[in-house]
Amino acid sequence: MKAVIKNGVAVFTPQGFLDGNNTSSFLELDDVEAAINLKADLILVSLKKVIFFNRNGLDTFIKLFSKIRKKNKAVVGFCDYDDNKYKAIKNFYKNEIYFSLFKTVEIAYLFSSSFKNQNKNILIYSSDNSQRSAMAIELHDNGHNPIIAQNEADFLAKKAKKSSYDYVIYSTYLGQMGQNIATRVTGNAIVYTVSGYLDVEIGNKFNIEYHNNSLNVGFRLFIFDAYKVKSMNVHALNFFSKLSSAGAEYNATICFAGMSFEKTQKEFRETLEDAGILFYNELDDILQNKELLKELGASSAANIQNKRVLNKKNVLELPRFIDAAVVTIEMMTNAKAIKESAEIHNLVIDDKTDKIASSIGYYGDIDGMVILVFPTKIAQKACELLIGESTDDLELILDTLAELVNIVGGNIKTLLSNDDIRVDITLPRTYQNIDDLLAVISNRKGVQVDLSFDGNKFLFFLTR
Amino acid sequence: MNVVVMITKNKIASFIEKIPPTPKILQETLALLSIGELTKAAKTAENDLALKAYLKNIVNKPIYGFKNEVSNISQIFGILGVSQSQQTVYNYMVTLLNPNEWLLFKLNSKLFYELQAQLSKKWDTVLSHLEIDNKDIHGAITLLPSSIIVSEALFKEKIDEVTLLRSTKALDYNTILTRLCGIGLFDICEQIANKWGMSTIVSQIIQASSGIKPSDDENINKLGKWMHLLLFYELSQPLFIKAGLNDFIDFQVDYVGDIYDEFSSLMGIE
Repeated sequence: MKAVIKNGVAVFTPQGFLDGNNTSSFLELDDVEAAINLKADLILVSLKKVIFFNRNGLDTFIKLFSKIRKKNKAVVGFCDYDDNKYKAIKNFYKNEIYFSLFKTVEIAYLFSSSFKNQNKNILIYSSDNSQRSAMAIELHDNGHNPIIAQNEADFLAKKAKKSSYDYVIYSTYLGQMGQNIATRVTGNAIVYTVSGYLDVEIGNKFNIEYHNNSLNVGFRLFIFDAYKVKSMNVHALNFFSKLSSAGAEYNATICFAGMSFEKTQKEFRETLEDAGILFYNELDDILQNKELLKELGASSAANIQNKRVLNKKNVLELPRFIDAAVVTIEMMTNAKAIKESAEIHNLVIDDKTDKIASSIGYYGDIDGMVILVFPTKIAQKACELLIGESTDDLELILDTLAELVNIVGGNIKTLLSNDDIRVDITLPRTYQNIDDLLAVISNRKGVQVDLSFDGNKFLFFLTR
Repeated sequence: MNVVVMITKNKIASFIEKIPPTPKILQETLALLSIGELTKAAKTAENDLALKAYLKNIVNKPIYGFKNEVSNISQIFGILGVSQSQQTVYNYMVTLLNPNEWLLFKLNSKLFYELQAQLSKKWDTVLSHLEIDNKDIHGAITLLPSSIIVSEALFKEKIDEVTLLRSTKALDYNTILTRLCGIGLFDICEQIANKWGMSTIVSQIIQASSGIKPSDDENINKLGKWMHLLLFYELSQPLFIKAGLNDFIDFQVDYVGDIYDEFSSLMGIE
């Protein structure tokens, strides 16, 4: 069974009956590894479509969870259950629950370091004090505003004020959490949350590919939220110094917020400052200061020092990139595409009104970025298959467009692998405003292909 | 660019058009069975060697519980009785739609026959429990696996695209088809039933068994619920999970909530 992956959460959805005889047929280690290769940091089994399960059935999943944890440190567990199922699981395993339980998959997204919709007001309740705190800390690290209900009465009173909260979390249990560095995007700044002792392990935990691709797609300000860092050793010092030097060619800035040097050598700060890293007492000292943000480059993503040219490798694979995009849009719109023109130049969009765009990067044996620009109406049409109905909700359309572009990225990956070219894909980025897109890729040449679906124009742009 | 659009209404129409009408021997066999002429029906069925082989294959499966091999068609019809004989002939008709090679699902003829046998025998148990003795309702279950054949036929050329789509969003084949063409798997099954001259009640039960088109008729709806739950009981068996059938359509847990306890008790689920 294949997982559905969204916001860094891989969800397997078995249907029907789960018992000791069949659970190993639902989920095999290969399926899980495929999900982990697609950058899932939570691996969950949804119980939404399960009408019956027993302990033997869950045990098989839990043994598999244990293997996953040992190998990949991913968060593992179950989601999408009602109160009866939650009670049954808690009753089966009592105090031996090392896996996590998320009442809904939407709640699980909140705990994913890849979830891009931060800053949510979230009411939390658990009868277990330590669980309440653990959830609050994780949510805070992921950029949300957790509000803890201290007891059931408090929870019910707070919950009654529905409009005060974006999410309400209960019947949820955090087992062992992942060890990836939480990453979130705030405006045009990327915030990494680091904690504990920073040592040689930082090199393993930090997703350098994600960072490099963020530089490539135009991010210029990177903030390490370090208020929970206890100390740093020389290996971590070298890591951050190199990271800062490597970002210099993009004119990128690295900042630390909330870092205390109580248990870290004071000279380290000077060394880091010499490498160009800036220090601030609190995250809000940066994020709430618009002038400072502008100065640090976060208000404009266009300041690219490194203009990379489209190389032969990419051009040779161009038909595959176009195929990947066209096949996907054809699948989504159930309409045939006609290629109208293909030229190499800077991205040209004659009429920027009523258009939205999305981009996805790829890296590995070759690297680059695919950008799709749609008239909003075509994007709506293309997203109908995924949404299930026609909608004018632009936020939903953009969100779905990101999924669509993710499918294009997956197609690119598959088509290139047929030629033994291995690439990974970045998370997709969407643009509600075409000027924002143009700012990111200003002065970059690429191949622009104009396509038409049922007489509607659609633009494909490949660049580096 | 060698690409074609995914699935169109024309493709569906072409698939339905290619469905063969009921072969003459089967028509005669079914007509004789419907008036209770088991011996004459058996004699007619003997003339179709493929039907004969299928009947022998299916009734000698362990689920039918015969100690000794049964090979004579008269004997088979005699043991099964009118309703189950008719059901088995319909099962055979459905296999005429089977592809030469399964590509979307990891199935083969043997496994498909096994699914038919399991569904049919358990459907008989359900009807016996519900005290329903109606040969058309007995036969309704035979149409259910045709939804698998329809999925295979329509999606087999788009496996990579569908796999990628389903890795992004939990969409079953019925939903994809409905969103693309406005016609679902069970609508196509209904058209097959019409083409084969099956009773209207068969189409109604099949539509209700999709779990997403409840019937206004309470009795039909009840049968649809039992069939929907039975289907997912079978599709939770390891062989069928491995064949990729568990999530080919959406299981509607809420739809069957009110009959679950009765079902689990009947099937001995603990």
